[in-house]
Amino acid sequence: MTTLQNLMKEIKKLKPIPAVANQLLTVVDNPDSSMEDIANVIQYDPAITASVLKTCNSAFFGLKNPAESIKDAVNMLGTDQVIELVLLKSGAKALSGSQKGYGMEGGDMWKYSVSSAVIAKQVAVKLSLKNKNTIFTSALVKDIGKIILEVHVSDSSKKIKDLVENKGFSFGEAEKKVLGIDHAELGAMIAKMWKFSPRMIKIIRNHHLADEKMIKDKEIAAVYLADCICMMMGQGVGSDGLSYRFKAQAMKQLGFSANDVSMIIAEFGINMQEVEELLNIV
Amino acid sequence: MKQIVGVADMKVSNDPKESIITYSLGSCIGLVIFDPVARVGGMLHYMLPESSIDKGKAKQRPYMFADSGIPRLFKAAYKLGAVKQRMKIYAAGGAEILDQKGFFNIGKRNYMALKKMFFKNNVMINKQDVGGNVNRTVRIEIATGDIYVKTSGSKEVKI
Repeated sequence: MTTLQNLMKEIKKLKPIPAVANQLLTVVDNPDSSMEDIANVIQYDPAITASVLKTCNSAFFGLKNPAESIKDAVNMLGTDQVIELVLLKSGAKALSGSQKGYGMEGGDMWKYSVSSAVIAKQVAVKLSLKNKNTIFTSALVKDIGKIILEVHVSDSSKKIKDLVENKGFSFGEAEKKVLGIDHAELGAMIAKMWKFSPRMIKIIRNHHLADEKMIKDKEIAAVYLADCICMMMGQGVGSDGLSYRFKAQAMKQLGFSANDVSMIIAEFGINMQEVEELLNIV
Repeated sequence: MKQIVGVADMKVSNDPKESIITYSLGSCIGLVIFDPVARVGGMLHYMLPESSIDKGKAKQRPYMFADSGIPRLFKAAYKLGAVKQRMKIYAAGGAEILDQKGFFNIGKRNYMALKKMFFKNNVMINKQDVGGNVNRTVRIEIATGDIYVKTSGSKEVKI
């Protein structure tokens, strides 16, 4: 078993996701916020601002005149695009390493995370859910617990593998049984220490719906569905593969038919090129 | 030279120096065909069984669906001299999430779409590695027709 204190120590060693992401989410999910409020929050972080401007001025966006401020960028590319860039850039450093314990090479987790976020947003748009940016970001960072747990998963890989392959456990259930904690719970702990909103902490903790009561929460169900679709698509998936539980009840809760799921997959198939390009520029 | 087949993508080759590879198949199917006489190989990586759910997208990305992708894979191989009767066929992928039953089981539906189409057209699958809860990366060497599969976290094996 991994002691909680040890895990806390390891969390403290991580470089947290920049505070601007949390502040930005508070502002964007408030319907009274203006474009100016949003630009002001971003400008507060000079490193992110410089990095966002650099990306905005890259060939990918093909702007006629360079954006010289976040306000310019918002005017030229639209608020949504700039918010998404800030959120992606905030998550990039923490999520782009390799997680050998999960059989993921460098870039795999980042690919999986960005794909999940893009799919979660598609689901949120289809269902007209509010808090699209919170859903996007929660899907982006939901596996953050793997960053710490991977070493422990690696140390106990035989036991975990045996439970998954021979005893009918899901990968998360096996983590919990062997290590005393699963990556979703650990992710929520990290999110709490990094002062993410209670909403995001809740979504991260429940993104595999280990607690079935959470199915009723549409934002959680949306992130859960995005994760399932991402697993099915396989991009950036590790050795835990598709060994998580599918809950048809969540589809019912969202009012999703199998055809709706197929439509989301098809749409992602079209968007994928854009995702690849985003991965390259962020 | 390595030709990479992306998601919703297809490649064929008759260059003995080449191999064709597709990464990380989950519920998608990687369909590999090879004519050992003409030494023509091809690979398709499709995501969904039927294009009828969105005709527009099928037009844009025909390799996304089994029914629009599979005939195109065969036709592209015929163009390089492959002959249907000589073709060796291998299918991989079609994995599923635990408890993913019925109509939501995209992996199984992807595999069934393949079987259905092959049955109608009198084509046999020679080898396959489908289902389960793992990701697969598949590669074929055009010079020999040897096919290799790797599940994530394990070593590549020749099949």
